[in-house]
Amino acid sequence: MSEGGSMAAAEVSLSAIFLAFMRLGCSSFGGGTGAWVYREMVQRRGWVDERVFLTDMALGQSLPGANGIKMAVLVGRRLKGGAGACTAAFAMLVGPFAIILVVGALYGSLGDHRSVHAVLDGVAAAVVGLSLSSGITAIARGTPEPSSIGVAAVTVLCVGVFGWPMLPVMLGLAPVSIGIAFARTRRTA
Amino acid sequence: MRGTFGENLLVLFAVFAPLSLLSFGGGNATIADIAHQAVAVRHWTSDRDFADLFALSRAAPGPGSMLAALIGWKVAGIAGALVATVGFYLPSSLLLFAAAKIWGRWRGSSWHQAVERGMAPIAAGLFLSGGVAVLRASPAGVPVWIAAGVATAALLYWPKMHPVPLLVVSGAVFGLIDLLGATP
Repeated sequence: MSEGGSMAAAEVSLSAIFLAFMRLGCSSFGGGTGAWVYREMVQRRGWVDERVFLTDMALGQSLPGANGIKMAVLVGRRLKGGAGACTAAFAMLVGPFAIILVVGALYGSLGDHRSVHAVLDGVAAAVVGLSLSSGITAIARGTPEPSSIGVAAVTVLCVGVFGWPMLPVMLGLAPVSIGIAFARTRRTA
Repeated sequence: MRGTFGENLLVLFAVFAPLSLLSFGGGNATIADIAHQAVAVRHWTSDRDFADLFALSRAAPGPGSMLAALIGWKVAGIAGALVATVGFYLPSSLLLFAAAKIWGRWRGSSWHQAVERGMAPIAAGLFLSGGVAVLRASPAGVPVWIAAGVATAALLYWPKMHPVPLLVVSGAVFGLIDLLGATP
């Protein structure tokens, strides 16, 4: 695992990709799978550079599809091209697919105990922590400029607080944010 | 669900593949459409069954929801689950792969870099929005907010910590408090 800051992606074998994404698929409870992939691939394993991950995520968000699978396709592609993308997406789905069939078969015999809802609330709270910590890390480490913090804050306000649909918000914000970044690169050049 | 086995599989694919390409903002965006198709149009499940299947798909691990797999399984067993899952995930994945490939061709140009820099804070904001949205939807209120704050701080303080133990502990604490409160 090289620590070169400019490196886009590490040298990883297909079997390692398969195992990592199968674990991710089986452990990502409660939605917010993008945050799970971020923590595992960028923070814990260091397989993908932070900037590369966030750009890929923005690309993925502007296209349809389940977020976790989209990140598996994009990160897998960065690591090992088409084969990596197929491996990561398949590995991400195979565990949950088997689990959901078992859960479905048990369904009915479980009943809905009240405490089950309490446990799920607790799990949800930890998942919220994962999303928030990923967002804070991404802002603090990747893009420390005030304008970036402003763009992130407006995104949270529109999508998180007002609950507006993601696509129009991104279509509105992206040109502004890209324009600021473009102006900045010309200034420093 | 009156058709032959083969017809049922075809219909499952025909229902889920277009939804795949319409799921802007993630799989959750299509839940209303899936409900409409499964209950009203195709009569695959009753209202009550659909609500239960949805809750199950939320409680189990996985990217997005495995709701498609559960409905496919209800219609045509394992083969149905497989066809629904492939139908729901494959078209959007192929589209994304093609888009990423085209996008990669412009690597290195100054506007490509500007796009990368400009999109990063939006992605960070979307992470935060995901957390805020779940908090707003949670019926449990203040205890969940507090636990979420503690979890956020712990994950920030230990960047290499695996999140699963945190989920287990948090779920166990909430379950225990509920049990103790229920039986004084």
